[in-house]
Amino acid sequence: MDVSQYLEIFLDETKEHLQNLNTQIMTLEQEPENADTINEIFRAAHSLKGMAGTMGYKRMQTLTHDMENVFSEVRNGTIKVRGNMIDILFQCLDALEEYLAAIQETADEGTNDNEPLIKALNDILKGSDSASADKKESTAKKEEPEKKEEPKQETNTAAEPWQEIKFGNTEQSVIKEAYSQGKNVYGLTISVQEACILKAARAFLVFKALEDLGEIIVSVPSTQDIEDEKFDLDFSVVVITDKDLETVKKAAVNVSEIDKAVGGNVKLAVEESGETETTETETQQIEVSEQSSNEPAVSEQQTQPAVAAASAKPAAKPATDKKPAAKPVVNRTVRVDIEKLDSLMNLVSELIIAKNSLVSASNVGTGNSSLFNEQIEYLENVTTNLHESVMKVRMVPIESVVQKFPRMIRDLSKKLNKKMELYMSGEETELDRTVVDEIGDPLMHLLRNSADHGLESAELRKERGKPEAGSIYLDAYQDGNNVVIEVKDDGNGIDVEAVKNKAIERGVITPEQAENMSDKEIIDLLFHAGFSTAKKVSDVSGRGVGLDVVKSKIESLSGEVEVKSKLGEGSTWTIRLPLTLAIIQALMVDVGGEKYAISLGSIQTIEDITKDDIKLVQAKEVIHLRGTVIPLIRLSDVLDIESKKNSDDDLLVVIVKKGDKLAGLVVDELMGQQEIVIKSMGKYINKCKFISGATILGDGEVALILDANALI
Amino acid sequence: MEEIRSFETIQFIVIKIGDEQYGIDIKYIDNIVRMQHITRVPKVAPYLKGVINLRGEVIPVMSIRLKMDLPEDEVTKATRIIILKLEQYGMIGVMVDEVKEVVTLDNSQIEKVAYDNKEEKSNYINGIGKYEGGLISLLDLNAVTLEKENV
Repeated sequence: MDVSQYLEIFLDETKEHLQNLNTQIMTLEQEPENADTINEIFRAAHSLKGMAGTMGYKRMQTLTHDMENVFSEVRNGTIKVRGNMIDILFQCLDALEEYLAAIQETADEGTNDNEPLIKALNDILKGSDSASADKKESTAKKEEPEKKEEPKQETNTAAEPWQEIKFGNTEQSVIKEAYSQGKNVYGLTISVQEACILKAARAFLVFKALEDLGEIIVSVPSTQDIEDEKFDLDFSVVVITDKDLETVKKAAVNVSEIDKAVGGNVKLAVEESGETETTETETQQIEVSEQSSNEPAVSEQQTQPAVAAASAKPAAKPATDKKPAAKPVVNRTVRVDIEKLDSLMNLVSELIIAKNSLVSASNVGTGNSSLFNEQIEYLENVTTNLHESVMKVRMVPIESVVQKFPRMIRDLSKKLNKKMELYMSGEETELDRTVVDEIGDPLMHLLRNSADHGLESAELRKERGKPEAGSIYLDAYQDGNNVVIEVKDDGNGIDVEAVKNKAIERGVITPEQAENMSDKEIIDLLFHAGFSTAKKVSDVSGRGVGLDVVKSKIESLSGEVEVKSKLGEGSTWTIRLPLTLAIIQALMVDVGGEKYAISLGSIQTIEDITKDDIKLVQAKEVIHLRGTVIPLIRLSDVLDIESKKNSDDDLLVVIVKKGDKLAGLVVDELMGQQEIVIKSMGKYINKCKFISGATILGDGEVALILDANALI
Repeated sequence: MEEIRSFETIQFIVIKIGDEQYGIDIKYIDNIVRMQHITRVPKVAPYLKGVINLRGEVIPVMSIRLKMDLPEDEVTKATRIIILKLEQYGMIGVMVDEVKEVVTLDNSQIEKVAYDNKEEKSNYINGIGKYEGGLISLLDLNAVTLEKENV
């Protein structure tokens, strides 16, 4: 049966089930006796097994089958839930996610049998001693592949590494079968150039190329180790293919930065012991050296996705996570291609522009027929509603992103050996689809940051009189036209002095500059590229490629990130994101005869002030308004244009806010409120940073959109 | 069609900037529109005149005169904006004094020019076409659109 057409559905649903399992097993860890949870887990595992079976993913099916067996026993009350069992189950889920990732990329589940896991599951079933199972489990992962695949001791010094690959029973039978089908089985040893930086990525490309030609049955070191770059300069694989050796080698060498590939036919020794000559060869060692004439453009292109794929694999993949949120209450849903929504959105944009033209035409025309105006109002009604409903379709709750965090914090807690709890609220807050897809990584980074750097060790916490377990809060809520996501911890807070010293040490600022900087300015330095204050680099965070990436990612979503911190009490990271990206309500203003739009969301009030209200502080103009001092920004200066007004005239000031900061923008004239469609200005204009885009007005003219956030 | 191609001919649109004639390879041209209101964009290179609305899309417009350090454009009835479609940047509008005609040149009529860094202007040209006694400077669009380092 051709099941490829169901692949997408399969991927979506499997992800949903896996997420569900993750959540439920977390609950199970807290309340081992909860029958509902156990039933739910059993059902999810059962459906997973069924689905994997239907799609023909045998390994996945085997693993889920054994998991289901365990759950079934738990449900019957024969075995009790124990700590190590939860760990094993989580590892199973990780393994399933790996299968899924492999399927997503190659439509094949890969070759990892995850035998140790299956064994561990069976051990649980047998009710074997929990401690030993735990121990086995933790070591098995490392030992097993080595035992199975470690190259044999050098019986033949001249042999290529691939000739020393030892085959297990399964592999032997696969090879036999391949030969009986008239296919070729080749062993290959592929060497990477010494200067190669991304060895794992190169190896990945080689694997990909070889998989196009046939099937890889064994690799030394294991695929996992190769992915983790745990290999020297060469690695060996055994491939089953119906192509000839030359083609296979070419495919490998064609990957750039691959030095050479050597190989030959693999022959199975019939002898039982399999000690000295498990593999023999018809040695025809032809070396194909790297054709350096590889088109750089092509290899470049290949590298990009591969690197991305390779690096994305170990982590769960939020960007490709396409499923809608798995709500506890089942909604009736229709899956819609996002492209179709985009085109619908474009149509709505067009409609709004057309409506705006009509409005401006009615203003020009002298015939003030009320019927005409009525119709326009009606049209306006329709477009607004249409816009809102299309936007709503694009909105998804951030739940789909944040629900994987409890599991992550649990794992981190074990890894870092710190006790911590994650409290989440506002998971139902909705954001535009495109934003939700992108927000996962930055959030994950901030959470890891809090867990690793923020929270102190248990002893220190006790000393400070804090509860032993650290708390991390993830709160999301809507604030006007923005959605705010806060990551808060009750940990150590940011040590301003440490940041300052580090910044001076790194040459980011000079000591003189540091003298004059406020605490806040110094904390903002954390977002500077290549800055990490962690005293030691851990694999959780602290490679110095963090916060600046978080910041740029969020800014690319037209959002902003801020941090507040109090030493000894904790820090709060605040991410502020616009609700929608395409259409906004804006105030149109006139500056020196040019029209500009300011997003209504950032406008606080509009004030009329006289010249005398302006005071000078540090040679900067400010106004004193209802108890707050607000700096004035003369848009005419910023935009390099002559104001139409005389210097003695009263000023029209639009007060805008960014977080809790205010600023007054001096404009010449207000032109009214309008719904505007945000258009990109194209790649060519390297726009200045306080212009966030352009829009087309009713009369066909282009007006620029001012980014109030950047002006402050 | 086939026959023409075998001669390796290229079609150029001939435009006028000042007293000189320039040619732009027709395959890069998406559209030619009349002069219209250009919205100024603050704080960009001086040769970028601003943005226009082309059927609902916002497109940047540059002045080839300012880029070549010639006197500023004088908008007349003949002034046109040529919309180029470039792989690297997408659509870009270029203001020219006048659009004259379309010519077809084959290889023998095109003379390559040597790179001469003394003269600023010639950096934007990658050949000279000879056509009916006149000369047409063939614009190197990559050089024209390349962003100048703002000193």
